[in-house]
Amino acid sequence: MAKLRALPAEGEQPDRWEAQLRKGALEMAALASLWQGRLYGLEIIRFLESNSRLVLGEGTIYPILNRLKAEGLLSSEWVEAEAGHPRKYYQLTVAGRERLHLMAEAWTSFAGGLSRLLEPVMNKQEELK
Amino acid sequence: MTREMQLDNYLNTLRIHLGPLTLAEREEIVREIGAHVRDSAEETGAPVETVLARLGSAEELARQYRDGWLISQASRSFSPLVLLRATLRLATKGVFGMVVFFAAVFGYAMGGGLALTALVKPILPGNTGVWVENGQLASSGVLFPPPGPPAHEVLEMWYVPLALVVGSLTLLATTAVIRAALRTSQRWQARL
Repeated sequence: MAKLRALPAEGEQPDRWEAQLRKGALEMAALASLWQGRLYGLEIIRFLESNSRLVLGEGTIYPILNRLKAEGLLSSEWVEAEAGHPRKYYQLTVAGRERLHLMAEAWTSFAGGLSRLLEPVMNKQEELK
Repeated sequence: MTREMQLDNYLNTLRIHLGPLTLAEREEIVREIGAHVRDSAEETGAPVETVLARLGSAEELARQYRDGWLISQASRSFSPLVLLRATLRLATKGVFGMVVFFAAVFGYAMGGGLALTALVKPILPGNTGVWVENGQLASSGVLFPPPGPPAHEVLEMWYVPLALVVGSLTLLATTAVIRAALRTSQRWQARL
């Protein structure tokens, strides 16, 4: 513990900030993973790992899916699988598709604006290389 | 301990700590997590113990479900007790939660206090009201002793409906703000 506290605060900040950023995007990412069709929890985790930089703790996604379902953005059904036990599949409801569409628009516009703002910073880094 | 026993122990602990959720919700969660562990173990070939470690402790997992449930219930509730309980839980999560909690306590105290003074006015008419001195607000509320001349009370019995209306509006505004804050927090409470 003492070792952790001894770490320079400024060295920790980017990591913490990135974690906050990812946190905020997680709900949208979970909804987006279901855009193409229904998936069960482990498939959602693997989908997010392979299609984005979101590496999740395996227990993270389930409370979020539960909450999104309670909000009426997802529906779920148990499906018998070859694995010998049923799996709980999630899919977007009409409200979920609409919410995701709004989120995607807001995110794209926000990220586009920030990218333009950061362009000189990134160009400067290229020059330094 | 066999693989099934390890899993059963984990799921039992999870079930116990999901306390306030309905029986159907608890069983659905336990069933889903059980299926996840079996799938993950089969997919990766990892022992159940490793998969359970990747899930995190059953207590922590249950806490995340409980928090989501509590805040989701509260964001649809009008009960000050339920709302305050949820904001108190939110306050343990960071600065935003603390601000919401203190705003909630302040709003309820202001609104409730004002409505209460409306009920006190008929009992202590001389001590309750709004006092003005030289055209400026001098004091308001229930005061012992009440301000003397040149300050004078201006509302008289109009204080009762006015305090009731303003107090009720403050309580309603506080409730609306807390519910909005809880809905916002639902989108930010996920943990990586």
